[in-house]
Formats: sequence, C-alpha cells, structure tokens
Amino acid sequence: MIVLLPIGHGIVARSDLPIPAWLFGWAAALVLLVSFAGLAALWPDPKLQREAWKPLPQGLSRVFVNRAVDLLCGAVGVALLAVVVYAGLRGVQTSAANLAPTFVYVIFWVGLVPLSVLFGDVFRAFNPWRAIGLAMAFAARLASRGDLPAPLEYPQRLGRWPAVAGLFLFTTLELVAADADKPQALAIAALLYSGVTFAGMALYGIEAWMARGEAFSVYFNLFSRMSPVERRGDRLGLRRPLSGLAALEPLPGTVPFVAVMIGSVSFDGAAESPLWTGLAPDIAMFFRDIGLSPTNALEAAFLIGLLACVLLVYGLYRLGVAGARSVGGGFSAQRLGSTFAHTLVPIAFAYVMAHYFSFLLFQGQAAGFLASDPLGKGADLFGTADKTIDYSLIGANATWYWQVAFVVTGHVAALTLAHDRAVAIYDQPKLAVRSQYWMLAVMVCFTSLALWLLSLSNA
Amino acid sequence: MSRNQRLGLVALVIAVAVGAFLIAKPGSQDEQRQPTTSPAGTTSTQTTTGNARATEPEQPPVARVVIKAGKPVGGVRSIQVKTGDQVRLEVSADSPQQLHLHGYDIERTAMPGKPASFRFKAHAEGQFELESHTAEHAGLEPLMARLAVRPS
Repeated sequence: MIVLLPIGHGIVARSDLPIPAWLFGWAAALVLLVSFAGLAALWPDPKLQREAWKPLPQGLSRVFVNRAVDLLCGAVGVALLAVVVYAGLRGVQTSAANLAPTFVYVIFWVGLVPLSVLFGDVFRAFNPWRAIGLAMAFAARLASRGDLPAPLEYPQRLGRWPAVAGLFLFTTLELVAADADKPQALAIAALLYSGVTFAGMALYGIEAWMARGEAFSVYFNLFSRMSPVERRGDRLGLRRPLSGLAALEPLPGTVPFVAVMIGSVSFDGAAESPLWTGLAPDIAMFFRDIGLSPTNALEAAFLIGLLACVLLVYGLYRLGVAGARSVGGGFSAQRLGSTFAHTLVPIAFAYVMAHYFSFLLFQGQAAGFLASDPLGKGADLFGTADKTIDYSLIGANATWYWQVAFVVTGHVAALTLAHDRAVAIYDQPKLAVRSQYWMLAVMVCFTSLALWLLSLSNA
Repeated sequence: MSRNQRLGLVALVIAVAVGAFLIAKPGSQDEQRQPTTSPAGTTSTQTTTGNARATEPEQPPVARVVIKAGKPVGGVRSIQVKTGDQVRLEVSADSPQQLHLHGYDIERTAMPGKPASFRFKAHAEGQFELESHTAEHAGLEPLMARLAVRPS
C-alpha cells in the first residue's frame, strides 16, 4: 500500500467543510432557473462587443498611471521575486515556516485573481520579468546609442501555446509534484522559468512574449478582462465589466489554456475526495509494476488525474461547440470554438474563487508574519513574526454562501458573454438562440461540476 | 420583450430564489431541538468511522484515536464536533508519536501507555488535520485523523 501522498498545498492546515446537500440542491436549481430566465430575457442586440472604454479625468488617471508608479511597481515586483528565490534557497525547508510557498501559492497565484478582476491588469504593473526586460532594453539602447535589432516576428501559429505549456507545468508542480511545497524546489522552478521568459522576450520582444507566451501574464490578463478598469497607453479608463473579454483576440491555444485553468482547479477539488483517493493507489500500482519508485508512481498517477480533468473540460467545451455548429450558420468548429473561448473565463474565475476563497483568507494571513521572518530563521523585521492565523475569521456558513455566490455569478457572467457573442455572429436571431441551447448546456455542466466538487467530502 | 417585462422577470427570479432558499434551508428550530446540541460546557462529540471497527458508543464523551505501528487503527477518521463544543481528544500509540492538531495548533506527544490528551474549545469551523510529525519525519503518511467542526 502506498502511504505517501503528494499534497499540493503542503502549507494547508485547514480545509473547507463540504457544502450541505440542501445548499447544493438549491444552488443547482438556481443555476437552472437563472439560465432559462436568461434565455427568455436577454437582449437581442450585442452590448458587450462595442468598445465602451472611457478615460478617467486626466488628473485622476495620472495619480495611478505615471512614470514613478510604473518604476515603483516594477521594482517591487523584482524585489518580491528576489526575496522568494532567496528565501527558497537559503531559508528553512519547512514549507509553512518559509515565505516562498505561501507567497507563490497564496498571495501570487490566488490573491492576484480577485485583484485582477477588481482593478484590472495589476500583474502587468508588478510583473518582475517584464520590468527586468524593460530595464535591460533601456540599458541596451543606452549602450548601443542607437536602435537595437528588431525582435523576431512572433509566429502566429504559436498563439498562446507557450503559455498553455507554462501554465500546465506550474499546475503540475503545484498539484502533482511531491516536492511542490518545498521552498527550494519553488525557488529553482522560479529561476528556470525566469530564464525561459528572458529568452522568449529576447527573441520575440517584451510585449509580444508577455501577451502570448508568458503563462502568468496571459493568466492574470484573462481575469483582468472581466474588470471595469483598463489602462490604455498612459491613461486609466473605465469600461463595461466583461467587455474586455469580448475584445479577446482568438489566438490558437486559447481554449486549451482555459481548459487548463478550469481542469486544474477541478482536479485539486477532486484530489482529496474518496473518488480519487480510492483510484489513485490503483493507478500508482500500475506504475510501480513497470518499475517506478513509490513516489514517482504516485506522481505519475496524479499527472494522469490532472490531464484527465483538463481533457474532460476541453472535451465538454468541444462537445458544446459541435452542438452549436449543428444548428447551422456555416461556421467551422475551429471558428466557433475560438469565438466562444472567452466565455469560459468567468467560469474559471468562479472555480478559483469558490475553491480557494477560504484558503486565501486564512493562509493569506500567514504572509503577514512570514514577511517578518521570510527565511524562517527567527528574524522579526516588521514586528509581526509572532502573529498566528485566526481561523475563526470566517465561519463555515459564510464560506458556503460565498462559494455558491461565486459559482452562480460566474455562471451568469459566462451566459451573458455567450449570448452576447451569439447575437453578434449569427445573422438570424433564431440560430443565435438555438446555438445557445448548446452553450448553455455546457455551462450548466461546468457549474454543476463546480458545485459537486464543493460538496465532496474528504476521504 | 420590453424593458419592464425584463425587470419583472428578474424580480420574479429573485423572488423564487429567495423563497426556495428559505424553504430549503434547514430551519433553526429543526436543529436546535435535536438533543445532540447540549448546553454549553458539556460535550457532544461524536465520532464517525470510515470502517466497521467502530466500537465506541453513540456519543462518547471523549474522542479516541489509536495509533498502531505508525498508522491510525480503522483508517483516518473524521471526528465530528460543533462550534463551541468542549472537545476532548485522546490519542494512544504503541510508539512515541509527536502529534500536531493543525489550525488549533496544539502539539502533544503520545507515549506507549501514556495517551496524548487534547482539550480545547472548538471555536474555528472547518476541517483540521491531526498529523504525526514522527510519521512525517520517517517519510510516512502523517495524517492520523481529521477534526470536522461544523456550525452549531
């Protein structure tokens, strides 16, 4: 029997109680009710397609967007990356006592998601790789006293595929690798990823790589497109919430990217349930029989579980697209698939928030005391090292209601986007509505899956 | 569909949703009449087992976990309590086990013949893990039991 389980978040000390059956039933019924009411009541003309970005008054915009703020945010980003790598390499290797795992998996990976949805593309401002790239380019221009050679043309066919690979590798590290929470492993991963990112920026240019190749930029940018706040050039402005998603360029790799976003959270949700803990040892046994060590065999089993979840999400979406295509209108499956890809982003948001909301609230507090002692060696830089996590911050009932609220809101947002896109691309309103039965069915599936994952009990 | 009709539909959806919520939500009267919720100060700890080896009575005053050869007897169990309960948890082991109840952050050591005793008030809701650092250092599965604190 295998006893050692790779637990992605080695820093987790608390998990949510499963949502009770009555709340599950009520939320599922609400999702159906909202869906059918939406079909009847939604607008006949596209409303989110139009650019409705309005700049904030110059004075107000300049408070948030100016050279000093840009420099400061970039410097903070670079400093945080340096601290994480240093703490990971030199700090104690107990995941809960070292700043690196909590910062990477909680503050960065989860915390930036709601911030992006509220305030726009926050990560772009703090992105350490972009800041270093810009600084290098500036220095190189000074040194060469002239124009630098232009970067290579980013291959169109590559689309967002490098970001898909980056995101999948990160979720593999988080959810599959037995050493996921080891500070040293994280620091090395961060260094390797920095190297790849610098190479990508050097080859294809800073902005081109950030927009398509850099996994975290693509990830947080997708969420920031739900936000009413958008920066254009040097001006901060407001737009309709969700309208940024309608403007998403349908590049190759976008649907797989979103499938990894949703599939990885699904796998994390299912990984502690009896469903998976019963299955995993059997799969691992197969890998042991073909000669893997117990740890590697279990990692292989978890990798298969993660892949299966991603493929399930991808397949479900493709099924909906095939159905929508069957109503007519003369679109190819490829075209339909990429034109509705953005509608899955609010669903991904719902998955992340429902699943990690309490984790962020509780484990996020740890960043407060770990900041005082990032290496876990007894320092007290800010006088907060003695603080502990207050686990009574939010109760189980409130957690359940927030979780259901996120899931239902994400469902409504996805539905809205899909409907808006359908009335925009179909000439006949009848076809638009019929295609939406299919997209609606897909979204009800995703949302029910999210609720079901929340209702699973731990094994 | 006119604007007013749309607003009407939204209002109807909200009304139905709220109505269904109030009906579906277990009324507070149902739960509080159950004898399991006893006055503050007394225990109402129940243990559920994932295994048929449950030999404890229905409502033991003390939740017990037995560790043999570094593993919890009967598998990893979930100890069910309610918010505000005074929890008493005893862990006996056939070899020294350094135990840590996460979240509540209580550390005790169980020795052969001398069980570790955890006594605390369940103030924080959620599921918390009881882990053995001894097992962890030996490279074994550290999870010995789970504490599930449900809203009262």
